[in-house]
Amino acid sequence: MERDVAIIGVGMVRWGRYPDPKRPDEYPERTMPELAVEAITNALKDAKISWRQIEAMVSGVYLWVNQQAGIHGTLSGTAIANLMGYTGIPIVSVANACATGQSILREAVLAVASGECDIALAVAADKSAFGFFRPQSTDGKSDIDYMRFVMCGETNPAYWAMECRRRMYEAGTTEEDLALVKVVTSKPAPFNPYARYRKTFTMEEVFKSPMVCEPLRLLEICATSDGAAAVIVAEYEKAKKICKKPVYINAVAVGTPTFGDPTVRLTYLSSNIRPGVPTLSESRNAVQKVYKMAGMTPDNIDVIELPDNSSWHYFAYLDCILNLDPGESEKLLRKGETDPITGRIPVCPSGGLGAFGEAVVAQGLAQVCELVWQLRGEAGERQVKKDVKVALAQTYGYAGNNAACIVSKGW
Amino acid sequence: MAGEAPAKKEKKKVPIVEGLFTWPSDKPALIASRCKKCGAVMFPKAAYCPNPDCEKNPENIEIIELSRRGKLWSWTIQYYAPPPPFKMEPFKPYAIGMVDLPEGIRVLGILTTTENLKCDMEVELTVGKLYEDDENEYITWMWKPVEEEKK
Repeated sequence: MERDVAIIGVGMVRWGRYPDPKRPDEYPERTMPELAVEAITNALKDAKISWRQIEAMVSGVYLWVNQQAGIHGTLSGTAIANLMGYTGIPIVSVANACATGQSILREAVLAVASGECDIALAVAADKSAFGFFRPQSTDGKSDIDYMRFVMCGETNPAYWAMECRRRMYEAGTTEEDLALVKVVTSKPAPFNPYARYRKTFTMEEVFKSPMVCEPLRLLEICATSDGAAAVIVAEYEKAKKICKKPVYINAVAVGTPTFGDPTVRLTYLSSNIRPGVPTLSESRNAVQKVYKMAGMTPDNIDVIELPDNSSWHYFAYLDCILNLDPGESEKLLRKGETDPITGRIPVCPSGGLGAFGEAVVAQGLAQVCELVWQLRGEAGERQVKKDVKVALAQTYGYAGNNAACIVSKGW
Repeated sequence: MAGEAPAKKEKKKVPIVEGLFTWPSDKPALIASRCKKCGAVMFPKAAYCPNPDCEKNPENIEIIELSRRGKLWSWTIQYYAPPPPFKMEPFKPYAIGMVDLPEGIRVLGILTTTENLKCDMEVELTVGKLYEDDENEYITWMWKPVEEEKK
């Protein structure tokens, strides 16, 4: 990159459902732009700068615009600026499904790295807390997602479950392994003020939870949530003047699939299979790219935030991030090596998507917020025990979208 | 009204989305597109070849019927009803699978049963009803396990 870039401020709202009639004090009625304003305000406070110092902004685009938010869910950037107060800066709205968070971080980083500006903001707000995701049109002529859904009714957990069953068949993953993911990733959940489910679960509780899509149980898949997060980046030299602990961005990349990858991605009805092309190639492509950009290997990574949408994801994405063969991630988990706080390679010290529920476009930024707090040593009771210098986050989304980043101590 | 009910007229079977499989047919098959140059197959059909190295020329594309038999790559049972626009009346837990076909394509579809399913078992294409009204039964394609003796 032309110029080095660092994170100078992060902010979030608590994940959940806005409004939650049972807990109106914690979860009042809030629109998506309102949630975004709260996250931006927290990030500005964290960076100790003002809204007028933001020179460019990138905003995540909401996917369920037919259900709520409408055109302002798509043109989210200017809808948020309308509440923050227009300052005339360049604002771009970006939709990359669940990979949106780090995709917009990339856009903000590129704006600064290129020299276009010195300080840029990535923000995403989402209201997805309504159960199974669904198509957004009734167009049986051209919307493949609509065709898929009315002809097969494939929910997201159904896709995950099919991948999971095949992994069990090929790699020997057990039902105990699947339950153990929830038990282990929920350990730090009680200590994260931004998590929706601040509870640690037992094996018994996981096994007692109802089967949703065999072999995945309710507590082995993530909920859908509302949430918002914001990350402010600055040119590195300027960042060092603004804050004591700038978090250096070693790499941020977006990955898309390789032709011939056999994965039948959500929203699609089929895939082309070419010999030798791996599954989940969008994720492998993003992860390989950030290692290359950073000049690093998995051995350099001290802590990981990955998309544990289900227990299957935990293993599949750990494979991608650590370059493991299927079955090895299960062994790491069983041995406690990926324990979120005490592990050799702590995974999801935030509590992960299991503790948050997925707020689609905001999720990737929430991961980055957690890594920043871990690097600064500000994560309180969920602070990982080992010394953390380098951290990696990765998210994957609908229809072949993936993004990843590597960040490190910049002081 | 007194007396016997009128003889039940057989309802017409109508695909929920038209054009995805051959219908009406005794041996329904999925309709796909294939590149004459590299053999890449798309379902649903598309005007262009998805191979990044192929020329984007609709004249290179032919419409084909996919093999009716394939191998079940994996499957799941959905215990909860998916939200609209999906409709199955009455809803009961059902299986969805991914099937590898000889054309080098993996295709999604509902399975006709939730019992005795195995990875890599042979399945065959059929159709099945998801819901009906006074006039029609609304159908989709389904994968049916091929019984041992039929092989």
